[in-house]
Amino acid sequence: MTKFRSLRGALLGAAALLGLAAPASAAEPGVTDQEILIGLFAPMSGQLAAFGFDPLQAAKMWYEEINKKGGIHGRKIKVAIEDDKCSPTEAVAVVKKLVTVDKVFLVNGGSCTAAAVATQEFVTREKVPFVMLNAAGDGGVFPATRYMFGAFGGTQRTVGATIMEFAIKELKGKKIAFIAHDDDFGNSNWSTAQAVAKRLGVEVVAIERIPPRITDVTAPMLKIRAANPDVLISTAYPAPAVLIAQKYAEYGMTKIPLVQAVQGVPIPAVYAKNVGNPAALTNFYYGSPLNDLTDGPKQQKWIDLYKQYYPDRKPGAFMTYGLPSAMAITMALEKAGKDVTREKFVDAMETLDFDSGVIAGPTVFAKGRRDGSRASVFIKFDGTKHTLMPGVYLWNGKDGM
Amino acid sequence: MTLILQALASGVVTGCVYSLIALSLVIVYKSTDVINFAGGEIVMVGGYIGMFALLFLGIPYVLIFVFSALATFALGAAFDRVVLHKVLGRAVPGQSILVAMVIATVGLSYVLKGSARLVPYTEEVRRLPPLFTGEPIFLGSVILQPQDIAIVVIAVAVMLALWCFFAFTLTGKALRATSQNPRAAALVGIPVRTMRMTVWGIASALAAIAGILLAPKLLMTPDMGVIVILAFAAAIIGGFTSLPGCIVGGIVLGVIQNLVGLYVASNAISVAPFIVIMLILALRPQGLLGGRVVAKKV
Repeated sequence: MTKFRSLRGALLGAAALLGLAAPASAAEPGVTDQEILIGLFAPMSGQLAAFGFDPLQAAKMWYEEINKKGGIHGRKIKVAIEDDKCSPTEAVAVVKKLVTVDKVFLVNGGSCTAAAVATQEFVTREKVPFVMLNAAGDGGVFPATRYMFGAFGGTQRTVGATIMEFAIKELKGKKIAFIAHDDDFGNSNWSTAQAVAKRLGVEVVAIERIPPRITDVTAPMLKIRAANPDVLISTAYPAPAVLIAQKYAEYGMTKIPLVQAVQGVPIPAVYAKNVGNPAALTNFYYGSPLNDLTDGPKQQKWIDLYKQYYPDRKPGAFMTYGLPSAMAITMALEKAGKDVTREKFVDAMETLDFDSGVIAGPTVFAKGRRDGSRASVFIKFDGTKHTLMPGVYLWNGKDGM
Repeated sequence: MTLILQALASGVVTGCVYSLIALSLVIVYKSTDVINFAGGEIVMVGGYIGMFALLFLGIPYVLIFVFSALATFALGAAFDRVVLHKVLGRAVPGQSILVAMVIATVGLSYVLKGSARLVPYTEEVRRLPPLFTGEPIFLGSVILQPQDIAIVVIAVAVMLALWCFFAFTLTGKALRATSQNPRAAALVGIPVRTMRMTVWGIASALAAIAGILLAPKLLMTPDMGVIVILAFAAAIIGGFTSLPGCIVGGIVLGVIQNLVGLYVASNAISVAPFIVIMLILALRPQGLLGGRVVAKKV
């Protein structure tokens, strides 16, 4: 009997030891004792590659930096890369492939909102953490869902709120004219901008909602001129933004400031060239989610690091936008511990509040909050010189909701 | 009052460009019964060729119109000779070949847009510098830019030149004869095949000139060919069989867009042309200046 008890005890003990020694991740896709597999995707080809190629490379660079320091809890980060061409259909296809074929632990990708948001149903159903790369992602982060995190550069709600606050507090606007598109982005811009103006007791004397593909802004600009504003705000895309600036100069409105949201000025030098009229830029400001001018010292250190990794490539204007999401992921993986699971990773993401050294304000997530940044800065631009205006403007998360 | 006058003036300027593109569509339609769905892309290609000639070949601005017109003339003529002629040659008696020819033009539009996208220079939004710069011109309270005046003058000059060509030159008369009755034209010795190529060449050249006029105002991307939708609207409003109708239709459309934007809503600007099309088709389907529908003699 004693022998049997001893044998039974030994067998039980061995089973317990095996259970403890087995990799904690045995049931967790994408995680082994040696590595964590992350699925990365962005538009790497096609017309919109400029928005995705360098940010993805920057994220990859961050993961390599972490690997050089020993990885996370002894595990190196490995990436599987796909190209979604900024297409919602392609994005869904590549995410499905990353999850079901490559069996990644989490997905880090998406430079275009429509593409990123299109994957939400799948990742929610499969319970796969999805951390957007540099997409604004309004549709994916409002309302907050458990598995999707994004807006590391701010949502369009943030853009609308901060641009209005800048126009009122810095430029002392009392009669604001606002131009937004008549699409989802424009709805988001206007909803928060309107709420901020109301909260601060300032009148919006003209609101023009224009189609994204508008080719002649004569009518909206005539109405705005007739309303006699003291600040003009535009959240238009690049082509209409140029047309607006041209008409603003043609109609002699340059005595009042023109403030353009970040989406209309992807590359300021190109914007100035396309506007083609120096008078249009005498009183011109544009928004940015970054913590410095693109060639300022805070950004330069990332550019220098990028050049070390990719010496043959000159980084584009959006390169640093890819860093905060990768930083958030590695921090959350660290916090989640060695026995990391997808659920523990998501719980850890919800505790993050850090300064990325890239974006103007803190990157914050919480239960019920999935948009990482709510900050903007503003830059005065006269066609050649950029001057960072004082202050970081933050959306309070309540205006317009 | 100032607002209305400004909207009218600006509408006439953009309307002149719509008219040119509409003319290029209608010339092809009247001569070949084909609706050219690549018209917008030819506008785009003409604009880029003009920009290339100005910025990289150093050709004087005035001459880039000629350069781009000649290049796109060759493009249009080649398309007719190489593609449409072959499609026409496969016609089966008793069956309409028009659908195949229209699809061929759709194919051309994709080829041109795709080819433009392959050129690295077209990745960014670009703007052709205006022909004239300088202080704005005031006509009473109406503000016009020197470029606006240039657009109207050049568009009108091109339309007049086209009218003179069709009215007074042998080739122009031969083209008119071919469009009215190809079989009879062939019987009197007019080379119908060559006339068709010439029509496509002229239409493409018109589109290119429109592209260069548009480019300083519109910004250049490989997608700028969508403007052809407005040209179709202009042609339908004026009358798809009437060259003067195109001109009237283009200007009416430019003005209507601005007035709708001014008095209805800015986001109604893009819808307005289609509402006008529906009204025209319901009330006067031949267009403002289009003639009665008659059976075509063959």
